[in-house]
Amino acid sequence: MNCVEFRRQLTVDPRADAADFVRHRAECARCAEAAERALEFDRALRRALDIAPPAQLVDSVLLAQATEQRRRRTAFRRTAMFALAASLALVVGVVGTRVEATPLSTQAVAHIEKEAFVLKGGIAIDASEVSDAFAKRGLRLDHIPMGVSFVACCPMGRHKTVHMLMSEGDDPVTVIYVVDAHATQREEFTRDGWSGRVLPLGAGSLILLAHHATAFDRVERAWRGAFES
Amino acid sequence: MSSKQRQFDALVRGYSADLFRYAYWLCGEEALARDLVQETLLRAWKSLDSLRETAAAKAWLITILRREHARLYERKTPQFVDVDDMDVADSGESRAPDAAGEEALIRSAMRRLEPKYREPLVMQVLGGFSCDEIARELNISSAAVMTQLFRARQKLKAMLSNTHGEAEVHELR
Repeated sequence: MNCVEFRRQLTVDPRADAADFVRHRAECARCAEAAERALEFDRALRRALDIAPPAQLVDSVLLAQATEQRRRRTAFRRTAMFALAASLALVVGVVGTRVEATPLSTQAVAHIEKEAFVLKGGIAIDASEVSDAFAKRGLRLDHIPMGVSFVACCPMGRHKTVHMLMSEGDDPVTVIYVVDAHATQREEFTRDGWSGRVLPLGAGSLILLAHHATAFDRVERAWRGAFES
Repeated sequence: MSSKQRQFDALVRGYSADLFRYAYWLCGEEALARDLVQETLLRAWKSLDSLRETAAAKAWLITILRREHARLYERKTPQFVDVDDMDVADSGESRAPDAAGEEALIRSAMRRLEPKYREPLVMQVLGGFSCDEIARELNISSAAVMTQLFRARQKLKAMLSNTHGEAEVHELR
């Protein structure tokens, strides 16, 4: 290595340690002197570039990572819960398990909200029409309570029902017999301005809805009598 | 604490400062450099399993940081402020006044250096990378790296010579 080559290498990397570079520095006093100046500049350059990082840099990175981890875990849990819910829904749908997602009372209120016209009441219809409606649902009733002014075989959600209206003075009572869902217990409720009662009856459930519950006991007795006779 | 978390903590504590310095000289903004370090280390956390050798951690992190910077650069073009000295703390705690002034001049000159010269010089001086390692990182030949380092030091020398007449420090003849 000659002086030109040495100076060139010195400019590229003052800390070079190749054998011929080191040898030339040892043999050439002027190049050794230049190398010493270059190293001094290199040290000054290093000090100049060595700016101090922000005091809280490490803590802020670790905090950001911990926060990100929590966020991801939360997102994962949400996804897992969603997947679990979807799986359950699938199981319910496929297997046909009678898992009631929405209470009968809630479904009944939603149902009559859609069919508000039937609440107007009116003249009592013939008992045979009511019997026919139950017959369509696979039920035979020998005795039909008096005062039914409307009857229809309605779907309520996924349930099969016989939907009726009984004229009880100024406050008609909606009577819904759910054929395919047996209430596990008696329930009194008020929801969205309605008073209601759900009770097990026969193989299904009887639901009573009205603005006031004053006639419920009488209507219930009438329908218990119809089913138990 | 999991072993992965311990490894990450060690990386953060061991390399945050170096990454910050590198990021600063890459982008020229202290706040941006801090963000770059954070993004780099968060990305590192996500792919920590791909780090096979601890000895390669620094180069690995620098690679991530450069990618993050490139990603950022697509949205923003930061500029080095061409002032005599920005309000950037140096890590020297008791520096002689003349030495401090000299370093300020060098920093100012570094900011004016074109990125293609500044980056390999920072990698060499701060990172301690060899020409071959810089070449791999920048995806250019070793000869090109040597040329850029040569020119970087020459330009720096010229700027400093023009700035103050004391050739003793930066004379590279």
